[in-house]
Order: sequence, then C-alpha cells, then structure tokens
Amino acid sequence: MRSQFNSWALLSVIFSILILLPALLIMVQLFAESNENWEHIKEFMLKNYIVNSVTLVSFTGLFTVLIGVSAAWLVSAYKVPMHRFFKWGLILPLAIPPYIGAYTYHGILNYTGVIQTTLRNQFGIKVDQKFFDIMNIPGAVFIFTMFLYPYVYIITRSFLENQSSSLIENARLLGKGSFMTFIQVVLPVSRAAIVGGVSLVILEVFNDYGVVKYFGIQTFSTAIFQAWFGMGDIYSAIKLAGTLMLIVILILILEKVIRGRKQYSYSTSKVRPLEPKELKGWKKYAVLSFFISLFALAFGIPFIQLLHWVYMTYDVILSATFADLIWNSVFVAGIGSVLIIIVALIIANFSRLSKGWGGKVFSKITVLGYSIPGAVIAIGVLTLFLSLDEKVITLYEWLGLEPTLVLSLSISMLIFAYVVRFLAVGFNSIESGFDKVGTVFTEASRTLGMSVTKTFFKVDIKMIKGAIAGGFILVFVDILKELPLTLILQPFNFYTLATKTFQYASDERIHEASVSSMVIICISALSIFFLHRVLEKEPK
Amino acid sequence: MLKKNIFTAFVMVVLAALVLAGCGKSNEGASSSNNDAKKEDKKSGEVNLYTSRHYDVDDKIFADFTKETGIKVNLIKGEEDELIERLSREGKATKGDLFFTSDAGRLHWAKDKDLLQSVESDTLNKNIPENLRDKDNEWFGLTKRARVIVYDKKKVDQSELSTYEALTEDKWKGKVLIRSSENIYNQSLVSSFIALNGKDEAKKWAEGIVNNMARDPQGGDRDQAKGIVAGEGDVAIMNSYYFGQMLNSEDPEEVKVAKQLSVFFPNQETTGTHINISGIGVTKHAKNKENAIELVEYLSSPKVQKVFAEANYEYPVNKEVEPSELLKSWGNFKEQDLNLSKLGENNADAVKIMNEVSWK
Repeated sequence: MRSQFNSWALLSVIFSILILLPALLIMVQLFAESNENWEHIKEFMLKNYIVNSVTLVSFTGLFTVLIGVSAAWLVSAYKVPMHRFFKWGLILPLAIPPYIGAYTYHGILNYTGVIQTTLRNQFGIKVDQKFFDIMNIPGAVFIFTMFLYPYVYIITRSFLENQSSSLIENARLLGKGSFMTFIQVVLPVSRAAIVGGVSLVILEVFNDYGVVKYFGIQTFSTAIFQAWFGMGDIYSAIKLAGTLMLIVILILILEKVIRGRKQYSYSTSKVRPLEPKELKGWKKYAVLSFFISLFALAFGIPFIQLLHWVYMTYDVILSATFADLIWNSVFVAGIGSVLIIIVALIIANFSRLSKGWGGKVFSKITVLGYSIPGAVIAIGVLTLFLSLDEKVITLYEWLGLEPTLVLSLSISMLIFAYVVRFLAVGFNSIESGFDKVGTVFTEASRTLGMSVTKTFFKVDIKMIKGAIAGGFILVFVDILKELPLTLILQPFNFYTLATKTFQYASDERIHEASVSSMVIICISALSIFFLHRVLEKEPK
Repeated sequence: MLKKNIFTAFVMVVLAALVLAGCGKSNEGASSSNNDAKKEDKKSGEVNLYTSRHYDVDDKIFADFTKETGIKVNLIKGEEDELIERLSREGKATKGDLFFTSDAGRLHWAKDKDLLQSVESDTLNKNIPENLRDKDNEWFGLTKRARVIVYDKKKVDQSELSTYEALTEDKWKGKVLIRSSENIYNQSLVSSFIALNGKDEAKKWAEGIVNNMARDPQGGDRDQAKGIVAGEGDVAIMNSYYFGQMLNSEDPEEVKVAKQLSVFFPNQETTGTHINISGIGVTKHAKNKENAIELVEYLSSPKVQKVFAEANYEYPVNKEVEPSELLKSWGNFKEQDLNLSKLGENNADAVKIMNEVSWK
C-alpha cells in the first residue's frame, strides 16, 4: 500500500519536473547580467508597464467580481422568466476569446461601424468620436470584463447552488433582506470560490496579447514582445517575463492567504441544493433586465455582428482547407485536454492525500505555467525540444538515418506546450472538485482495505465526475482560443482557427476573420452547453 | 542515487516514446527518408517556406507554382520575429528553406543572425533592381509599398503638404494620425530617418510627431484613415497598400471613407518617400535549395509580379511590370534612396527613440 502511494508521488514529481523544465530554462537566463536594453526599459518603460497592467488587472478584477458574483447570486437564489436559459446563457461569453471580442466591438463602434453608419446615413447625425472610442484602457477593461466574468460566475454559482443552501436559508429565516443576505452571508462564504474565479481572470488579463496589442496599450505582454522582437533582445524579454512571474506568484500567495485555511467541504453527502425563489413585481423586471443586458453585451451583440460579417465573406473563405482548420483545432484541443486532465488528476490526488507540505508545493508549482505568457513558454518548450532533438539526432546518425528534427517539428511539441500552459485550468477544476468531496470517503475506503489506486478509480473519480468534465471543457475551450503558442510552435502546413483569425485581423481584414471566429465561438458554445448539461445532471 | 536513476530511466522512456511518435509523423509527410535518403535529398519535390505574409493571393501563387513545376510548397505562417527566432533555434536542423516577410529590416535581421545564404542567379539579378536586394544576395525584394501621407481633400490643400518633417510644425498640432510605435512600419520609417538624417534629427522628428498627434496611437492603418473622415485629425501616415484595399473594400462604408481622401507622396523635393518591401531569402541550412531558388525566381517573374501587383495593391519590383491602374492613378514618385538593410541596422535605435519620446 505504501509503495502504491509512492508511485503516485513519483508520477507527480516527474510531471512537475516536465512542466517546470521550460520555465526553468527561462529562469536560468533571468539571472543573466543586465544589458543596455534592460537599462533603457527600466528607465523609460517599466513604470508605464506596471501602471497599465495593474490598472487593467485591478479594474477587470473588480468588475468581474461585481458582475460575476451578483449574476451567480441572482441566478441561484431567484427565479425569473427564462431562468433556465440564463443559467447557462450567462456562461456563453466565455466562448468568445477577448481578442475576437475586441475586434468585433471596435468594428461595431468605429467610424464605419454599424452604429455610426446608421446615425450618419439614416439620421444625418455626426457624432463626437470620443464617445465611441473603445481602443483605450477603459475600453480594454470593458472587453475583458465582458468576456472573462464567466470565470467568476461559473465557480461562484456552482458553489452557491451546492454548498450554501442551509446558510442562505437560515439567513432568510432570520429575516434578512436579499441585499443584506448577499452582503453578510453570500459574499463571505463564497470568498474562496470568488477568489478562485477572479485569479483565473487576472492571469488571463496578464497573459493577453491580442486585445492590448490591437488597442495599443502597453502592458507587460506587449513589452515582452517589444523587447524580444523590437529590440531583438530575448534576454530583456525574459527579464520582463520573470518580473511578471514574480508579480503573479505574489498574487497566488495572496490568494492562498485570502482563501484561508477554511475548507468548505461537508462530511455528509446530503447537501441540499439551493432552491430558487420566484421573484415578483419590479424586482422581477430589474433582475430580468440585468440578465438581458449582460447577455446582450457579452454575447448577443458581438455574435450578431459577426454573423453579419460571415454573411458578407463566407463565400470567399469557406473552402476545403477550411474543414482542415476545424479538424486541426479540435484535434489538438482534444488531445491536449485529455493529457491535461490525466496529469491534473494524478497531481491533485497526490497533493490532497499527502499530509506533508510536498504535495501542496507540487500543486502550486504546476499552476505556474498559466502565469507565464504563452510566447515565453513557447520559447522554453522549443529550447527543451531542440536539445532533446540534438540527442535524438545523434541516435539517428548512429543508426545511419538522415538527421531531421523529429521532435521540434512534430505536433507533440505544440501539445506539450499546451499542457504546460493550461494545466492550471484543469487542475483548479479538479482540485476544487476534490475540495468539495473532502477526504472522508477516500479514508473510509482505505480503512476498508482498498489501495490508493483502487480507491481512486472506484471512489474518488466517480465523485468528481462533474469537476473532470468541467475541467476538460474549460481546457478544451482555452486551447481552441489559444494564440501565441500556436503561432510559434505550429508544424508545417498546420493552422488552427485561432491562428487564421489572428492572421486576418492583423492584416486589418476583420470581416474575413469572422468565419473562423464564428466557428471558434460555436464550438466553444456547444462545449459550454454540454458542460452545463453535465453539471445539471450531476447527482448532488 | 536511486532517484537519479529513476529519473534517467524515465527520461529515456519519454524520449523513446517521442522518437516513435516523431517517426510515425515524419514517415507519412515529409520524405521517405529511409530508403535512398541521399538521392531524395536534392529533388524531394517540395520546398518549405516560413512566411509572415498571410494573403490569399500568395496561396494562389504557390498553388500555381506547384501545378507548373510539381514542387510542393509547404508553409508555416507566423509573425516575422517569431519565425526568425524559430529559425535561429532550429539551426542546421531546420526544415525551412525560405524566409518570406513584409519588412526589409527583418530580412536584414535574419541575415545578421546568419540565417540566410547567398544565392547567385542571373534571373534574379535581372528581375530585381540592385537597391531592392541584399548586397550579398542573401535576400531579394519582391513587392514594394510606400508610407504615404493621406489627407482629407476638403480640409487640406495639397499645397500645404511637403515632407514628413513638415508634419512636426505647429501648423499640424493635434492633427496628425499615426499608429503605435509597436508597429513595424513605423519602426522602419524612423530607422530610415536615422539612416538619412542621424539619430538626433530622427528623435526630434519623433518628438514632433508625438506633440502633433491628434490622439493616442490606436488601431491599424485603416483606422487612421477613418480618423480623418471622423474629424479627429487632418492627415494620416499610412501604408499605400492599405489605402488600395480600402478603395476596393467589400464594405461600402470603407470605400466611402477612402473616396474622401487623397494620397500624397512626401519628400519629393528632398529625400524621397519612404518605401519598404516584402522580400524573401534562402535559409542557410536549406535542404531543398534548388527548389527554393526556383520558387524565388518564379516569384520575381513578370507573370507573378503582375499577380502580386493587381491583387494586393503593392508595387512590383520587376521593372518590366507596370503597377495596377489604381496605383498608376496616384502618379509616379521619388523613393528614398537608401539601402534597405539600414532599416534593420537601425531598428533597435528607432524603438528606443520612440520609447524615449513616449510614442505609445
């Protein structure tokens, strides 16, 4: 039994090292001596990067919490018309990658966009551009908030629905109004869920390259590209990435502190789901219009705009090669997600069962990949695979074969990079699934003589089915949307929907980008719908 | 000790697995390297291209090339800098035979990093003027674009315009539209000023432009044109081929915008209008060098140059080919007399200057 547990530990160590290697390769260079470029960046740019990044992250964080938590609370506590639709419809904006959202909103609002054109042509009104300018920091906060709030919404909602019914019902019984219940009960008890959700949002914002590049806002990620490419200086780029990593590590530590030691798990399986109350009168309409406007802004309006552009361009874009794009995207996202879930399960299970600090450290290390910008991971992975390839080439020559780059030109490199980058997403989902069920059942099974491994397959895995499915889908959608990694590491003749969209957009051909955008959105939306169905059916 | 052994064993296993995976992959696609590797080497019937140009017209041209020669063209499309980084990391083991990008500075950069090789071809020497190819023939320009001033016909009289430098005068305060310093075309523009007038003058210019900006830089080149019509500024610095695209856009509103504007080629009395190229180079470790050269020659041929010129509103480099009707209607112009390698040499300084004057 003891040795069984050791193999879990061993696998966890190995995976952690593999995941860490690219980051370590970057870290080694972080301590290289600073050069002239770095001095230039420190003198003229760094303050600007920090201010802009922190502003974006803080406001996006604040607004996603406000919107995400209140939507989660209203959906789980009250019933309004179309309740069942909004429950999952409010997750849908997650299907739209922020960069596509940014292209679309700029397309709607700019001078030749539908709003200004209509005002001009139908009503003869020429407006002040100031009111339609979205390409600035407040605009970026709006875009991030709209397309990232579902992270907070989804995690908080599932917590509220499944964990908090007794607390909330008691508060209601004690005569608290809904607002006071929200402030005094809902917010404090769902603190861990909110923090978990908002930290995902923050990491997404730190890593974004598409939106800030398009809007011309200088942040850490544009700075990394600027130093690396504009100055041709990867060392300064790595230093910037390192600085960013330190900030993120700080945030992750802060998250742990805020989340505290509290484990909101129940030792009984009889957790009653929260029963939503019917709303009446003006309150019903207030809540309803909140849902409708949120859904419209974060999904409906951009979706309709894209649909219109698809109508304009589909006959040029749709061809046999387009089917390849779809297949490629689904293929890499599928493989990547499966691998991530397997690795996440192994490490999460080990880290929860090991009482020492070792397991916890692994769990924190593995989520670090998410804090490193995609492009930097790509370079780390490339370095790793090339050095492996050198060894393989020696082997090939020894065998008398033609030397080629077997590894670094194959799709395995891209998929490996996905695993490094998105393990955190799958891991968080599975970890919170484990958190919810606690360790009581596992311990019972162990007491009854089952091994760790047997328990894992017979007990644990079945109890967190929902978390596994949820994690899989989140990762799948994330890979589908991923941009910089795929751009750098794609093999010959291999394109995805995301890279194609970016190509069109960076070429200022937003209309042509709409077809591939639409497919990304539809596949993601279907996945989300499926996720919702799985979560609904999960026995509570 | 034991731990180390286990780790080594594991690494070996992973390695073996990856090799197997790699073999499976490479067998189907690239070449049947197992039997007769050496014979296959020269004429494997394919050429691998790293390109940062993502135009549909390129795909069409490559397809025609394959039809005519039987040589298959494989592509990796990406951002130019990432492709350079990739090429340099892959070193001699790279599969890339050609590097194709839309900025002379980047081509020079690739050369500087020793990623390209010299090519001797009479056809290329004949088809491509000397100033548009590298002096060691490591890269060749294939299309040209000009960085022009676009202005509102109603608000600005053509006689008010003269040079890039004049846009820094007080007269244009709050009226100049230009995109961010992150954009490679602007970096190359400033690089050209460093080459022509020296660093101090270039910095003065950048400072002057920042002072006269109508708004913080945002959006792409098309957005600058729209900015004029929306009344945010009077003149914009933008790429000629984007203006061509707007005039031929499928969106009638964009056509309307472009029709209110006009193109001006600056610095005709002085240093000439800034031009940049799309260009291509054979990689240092190209495995299909002959095929690669054949493709480059094909791209410089009058027939293909015509396709580039007509479909993409770019200027052909081949003197035998005339620009499209649209470009001709804008008139002839004097170009900057500059070895385009300078754009690459000065790029880092240009970026620093732009940072120092807070060009966002």
